[in-house]
Amino acid sequence: MGIVTAIWEKWVEFKYEWLKITAAAMVSPLLYMIALGWGLGSMTSMDNIRYIDFLVPGLIAMSTMNNSFSSVATALNTQRIFEHSFEQIIISPTSLGQYVIGQSIGGSLRGIYSGILVLLIALPFGVSLKLSPIFFLVMFLNGLAFGALGVLAAILSVTHSDVGRFSTFIIAPMTFLCNTLFPLDKIPRVIQVLIQLLPLTHASSQLRSISYGQPASLFSILVLTAYSVVFILLSVFFINKRKNL
Amino acid sequence: MIEIKNISKTYPGQKVPALKDINLTIETGEFFGLLGPNGAGKTTMIKLLATLLKPGSGEIYIDGDLLLRSNRNVKRKLSMVTQEFSLRSNMTPEQIMELQGRLYQIPKAKIKERTKELLSFCDLYEHRKKVCRQLSGGMKRKLMLCRGLLTEPEILILDEPTVGLDPFARRQMWDLLKQLNDKGMTILLTTHYIDEAQYLCKRIALIDQGRTDRVESPSLLIKELGSTAVDEFDGNHTKSRFFAVREEALKYAASLENEFVIRSTTLEDVFVALIGKKLEAK
Repeated sequence: MGIVTAIWEKWVEFKYEWLKITAAAMVSPLLYMIALGWGLGSMTSMDNIRYIDFLVPGLIAMSTMNNSFSSVATALNTQRIFEHSFEQIIISPTSLGQYVIGQSIGGSLRGIYSGILVLLIALPFGVSLKLSPIFFLVMFLNGLAFGALGVLAAILSVTHSDVGRFSTFIIAPMTFLCNTLFPLDKIPRVIQVLIQLLPLTHASSQLRSISYGQPASLFSILVLTAYSVVFILLSVFFINKRKNL
Repeated sequence: MIEIKNISKTYPGQKVPALKDINLTIETGEFFGLLGPNGAGKTTMIKLLATLLKPGSGEIYIDGDLLLRSNRNVKRKLSMVTQEFSLRSNMTPEQIMELQGRLYQIPKAKIKERTKELLSFCDLYEHRKKVCRQLSGGMKRKLMLCRGLLTEPEILILDEPTVGLDPFARRQMWDLLKQLNDKGMTILLTTHYIDEAQYLCKRIALIDQGRTDRVESPSLLIKELGSTAVDEFDGNHTKSRFFAVREEALKYAASLENEFVIRSTTLEDVFVALIGKKLEAK
């Protein structure tokens, strides 16, 4: 029940600002496609593949991550620190575990929405990807992990600026490094190993493989699931343990 | 019944505790007030009851069950109206009520019925489709009370519920709270309006610097101080003296050279006398 309530809450938020949310979710992928896909991409040669075809799955992973994270972290942190409406969630008998799962799913759905927008923006660029249910499953799991990370960031932040800092130190590096804009084999081996540990690396590589018609890796799907579970458990742990919410 | 046992709370980075060894018992069906000056620890107490804060030591029991953030059965009995506005600014009153109903697993039809009933009573029904940021402060305050009552709680915790309400709305709220208490709802109130506490509460606790001073009925506290007051204005200050019987007050007033007023003692006099004594002692 708490899961449905949290998803309903995210839906109400979306309904109120859907136009702004849609426009904001389109700007950055569009700029990446023009600047990197068209501009830089015309000077880049890859094995049997146009750079923009390489880029778009990475942008979908990036956009899913960014929107899932920010839709949860910013909203929940505002409700906790400024609006104080999060107090009513804590006081209520709703299971906090269910509420965190619901928020994470709600964030993931927002991520999928932004991913679909990237797909639509890519159409005029002549990008055609092979879509399948598993492509959307990877988007969902990627969004779930970062939605749950958004809950964690919102709970651990002392001020609203802390959410921005969380983005700067955790989300922004992944945006650029995790197999999104360039293949990992172009960077030193040691850094490659570290980047392979991050969830977005698995999301972007899987979205790329699936969109090229290759099979998905069960290992990567399990890694994304594990990240989601760990972030959800940590969020519930900190909501229950914090002395001053 | 709410049992507060040996509760102490010190905020991180603070040396002075916000609450120290508080012990209170609030009976089922009681209308109980928590009074104290600014920074006395009232809101800390309320936040502990709402499980927003965890005590440094001590426990709170509701009908014998330990109150914890994870104890959902106990939390089902409680509802709280906070001092600060705690509404989602992008939600309408209708959506705020629905969210509350969903959080307490109330059937949809019941949420709809109670929403109409409560919003109509508080003159908010015609504003039900406006987002909260478009509502006035008084409307938001009333909406928060409606939200608190939607779940028909056994225990209602009110932290300064009438701040920002006009006198008419305040009295309307007093009537509603009296009716709910008459029906058996336990109500715990903190307020700066001491006339409000005097009118509504069967017992009050005076809290200052994190400690409870007195827990009594307002009438007994007034009787102890003296039920008749004489205010004498000497040109600079007003000095009040209290008398057990009116005749003594009249006799005293007859001896005064300055302007004076004879009146009934109020709970505010008790409050000022007790807190004032402590300040003088310092």
